[in-house]
Amino acid sequence: MIDDDKIISELEKKLMTFGGNSKTQNVGEVIKNTDGVIVASGLSKAVMGEKVVFKDGSIGAILNLDEDSASIILLGEASSIKEGDSLKTTGQMLGIDVSEELLGRVIDPLGNPLDDKPKIKRGKNMPLEKIAAGVVEREPVGTPLKTGIKAIDSMIPIGRGQRELIIGDRQTGKTAIAIDTIINQKFNKKPVICIYVAIGQKRSTIAQVIDRLNSEEALSYSVIISASASDPAALQYLAPYSGCAVAEYFLEKGKDVLVVFDDLTKHAWAYRQISLVLRRPAGREAYPGDVFYLHSRLLERSVKLSKENGGGSITALPIIETQANDISAYIPTNVISITDGQIYLQSDLFNAGIRPAINVGQSVSRVGGAAQTSAIKSVSGKLRLELAQYNSLAAFAQFGSELDAATQKQLDRGKRLTEILKQPQFDPLTENLEILSIYAVTSSLMDDIPLESFQRFEKDLHQFAKKRYPNVLETLSAGEKPSEATVKQITKLVEEFKKMFG
Amino acid sequence: MNSKKIDKLVSVSFRNNSLDREKVNRIATLLSSADLKKYINSLKLTERKKSLIVSSPTNNQDLKKFEKLFPNKKILFKKDPSLMLGVRVVDNDIVYEFTLRNSLDKIINYIEQNYD
Repeated sequence: MIDDDKIISELEKKLMTFGGNSKTQNVGEVIKNTDGVIVASGLSKAVMGEKVVFKDGSIGAILNLDEDSASIILLGEASSIKEGDSLKTTGQMLGIDVSEELLGRVIDPLGNPLDDKPKIKRGKNMPLEKIAAGVVEREPVGTPLKTGIKAIDSMIPIGRGQRELIIGDRQTGKTAIAIDTIINQKFNKKPVICIYVAIGQKRSTIAQVIDRLNSEEALSYSVIISASASDPAALQYLAPYSGCAVAEYFLEKGKDVLVVFDDLTKHAWAYRQISLVLRRPAGREAYPGDVFYLHSRLLERSVKLSKENGGGSITALPIIETQANDISAYIPTNVISITDGQIYLQSDLFNAGIRPAINVGQSVSRVGGAAQTSAIKSVSGKLRLELAQYNSLAAFAQFGSELDAATQKQLDRGKRLTEILKQPQFDPLTENLEILSIYAVTSSLMDDIPLESFQRFEKDLHQFAKKRYPNVLETLSAGEKPSEATVKQITKLVEEFKKMFG
Repeated sequence: MNSKKIDKLVSVSFRNNSLDREKVNRIATLLSSADLKKYINSLKLTERKKSLIVSSPTNNQDLKKFEKLFPNKKILFKKDPSLMLGVRVVDNDIVYEFTLRNSLDKIINYIEQNYD
């Protein structure tokens, strides 16, 4: 009854607007419909990006304004629109209704549910296109966003508000890194909202991702936005902006958000398709001239807001798929230059069993270092240096047959470091366990453990530490640089475990 | 033929603010089928720009008021009972809605958008 009264009172308030406002409508007529792009006459008062509604209720967005006509991308089924159909402008820009209810849901870029649950209503309408926050509202990246992957957290750290590109060939574990990062957010004290945007992917792949997030209990703080390969190019084009709009809703509430764009190569393809149908001049690789702006305006919306502005952040993990490890192609170079670093995955490393297949030499994080805790910084400096020495020596060692003892020792250490950085999929680690593993290798405590037993040793060591030395792990998770006493305790822990390890 | 030439043909097709049948027929015979289509579309567009359509559910609509308001337009009347009450005025691509039907449609749309 209370609900009924509320509805009626809301309607009474709105009654004036129903009759009073927006008496004028700007209408048009469909001239032609080419592959989801509609050319319409009329619409003289329309503006770029405005939402239009067709006679049958389907919606579109204006992408071109010519002298006598407007070009509209249709956001739905194209077959029902025919020549002569009427359409009208709405005076609204494209937006998506967002509320907390969206968490755990799978939606399309326009907010329509894809998971057999009811549509989110009464949410806040967030515009898909928005100018990114200005310089004054921002502050430098300073808080880490843990991925739970040893190689990344130690050597290519990601900060909240950063844009870190994941780049590599097909089947090299790009999505796996993003999914692991989402799963790892459940260990955070301050929750990070995760948004996974699937662009132009197979529906089976998207289903697998959803299933995995669900089984890892990561769906409760995640939103999945899906524009699969079978969806119109217009929806694929809008999907990342939609993800950003959802992220901005939570940002306004002062929350930290992680957005994964999987992947921007297919996003560029979708935009190329639309641009070619719109007859925009084609440039390199047939991409339109504004393909750089397409991604720069999207990734620029990643932000770390200052405390006065709520202190929230949007971290972006865009994914780019390369062909034959060629990072100098058009779209990869564009996105590399836009982002604050890249995680470069290589297929030969993947095939050699080094997983995650991160090429440490070519991967960088330009701002993440400032966000790293002192605890992990204290072990990662040595790791990076020793790995770099190993990589340069390994190339030479292939030619020479006899090596001196020092070189041999360095090579051996490098192999061990590479081995400890291997990590199974969907098994992200907390920071204290990462430090424990890395410290055990860099301080030569694991020099007498055979390489083939490394994985088992590490796993059992973690169990042992959790059971016998929870106080050491607690000290490490505080983020402070380990004191001498803590270092001694870690050494004791590892030595004690080694005696038990058979 | 480019759109500027088509526009020029359209402008000469009118005499005293209405279409000249003789001129139109002569132009039509000289055009290719693709250009003819463009010409017809352009004629339609020009005709639409010159006229004002007034729709109402009843016949007793005073059109003189509209003639005063839109002095250079050809006023056309359409009876449309589905509008229920009020009047709808279509000026090329601008529609002025003062109908009960429009208000009811907006209420329905609002309820559909906001309530399950």
